[in-house]
Amino acid sequence: MSLSSLLMSFCEWADNSFFGHGIRSSVWLFPFVEIFHLLALGVLGGTVLIVNLRLLGIRFQRDRVRELAREVQPWMLGSLVVMLVSGFFLFSSESVKMYGNGAFRVKMISLVLAILFTFTIHRKVAMSDEMQVSPLWRKLAAVLSLVLWSGVGLAGRAIGIV
Amino acid sequence: MSVIRFMQWLNDTAFSITMRDSTWAEPVVETIHVLTLTLFLGFTVLLDLRLLGVSMRRRRVSEVVQELNPWLVGGFLVMIVTGVLLFCGDPVAFYNSIFFKVKMLMLLLAGLNVWLFNATVGRKVAEWEIEAETPGRAKAAAVVSLVLWVAIVAAGRAIAYSLPPP
Repeated sequence: MSLSSLLMSFCEWADNSFFGHGIRSSVWLFPFVEIFHLLALGVLGGTVLIVNLRLLGIRFQRDRVRELAREVQPWMLGSLVVMLVSGFFLFSSESVKMYGNGAFRVKMISLVLAILFTFTIHRKVAMSDEMQVSPLWRKLAAVLSLVLWSGVGLAGRAIGIV
Repeated sequence: MSVIRFMQWLNDTAFSITMRDSTWAEPVVETIHVLTLTLFLGFTVLLDLRLLGVSMRRRRVSEVVQELNPWLVGGFLVMIVTGVLLFCGDPVAFYNSIFFKVKMLMLLLAGLNVWLFNATVGRKVAEWEIEAETPGRAKAAAVVSLVLWVAIVAAGRAIAYSLPPP
């Protein structure tokens, strides 16, 4: 079975599921789930921004990156989970349509890259001792993180427009 | 001039017509409005959580305020400017939406909450931030803020669904 047919059958399953069907046929369920998606966007974006502004040396200059990153970590992880769950429900209500949506594909690719980068290189840079990583690499990690997460957000906004 | 007549006048201005008829103006402005939630809502929530003692506990409240405030205020200004632009694109429909009125009322209450906090318990932050627990009145302000912002986001989402389709 090819990847595209596998993805298509997943979309069909989500589209026909009770929740996909339920959200689609309800007037208020889609915007209701969207509210959670937006609230979690605020918290996830806020925590990502704080750590990256610290890596860039713009905010919280007096504090260690590692401590700051650890302190906001539970809220970052929690809001990411809310994003993924609410996003999946939004997707399920029109998943077959999303299969052919270019912006949705860009968003999913950016999302996978952003998550992989965040939990590997970015995490390593943020958690390492201040002396171990040069300021240039720290800034580069911050910029790349901001670019990837902005890509997710912008492509997400574009889903409804294209 | 009554409010509704003012809305009709605004509706017929060249600026409003341009906002409405342009293919890109509305989606671009709305994208900025939504994505600035990360800055404004994110930092506001983190500040409230600090007041409640559930995030950045080891950091002083005044330090968190000092570090977050310039960006939070910048985010708020972007929200206001983009919000006013979105409103200008369809003032009569916005004005007729109950969710818009509720949102404006709650924005006012959120502003009052900040003012009240700054005028009372917030003024004495240097006295209580060294204690392990935040005073109850500061926690109450944080809860009121969180409840209001959640409701403001919800009302904002509802506006988009209550406006007649273009």
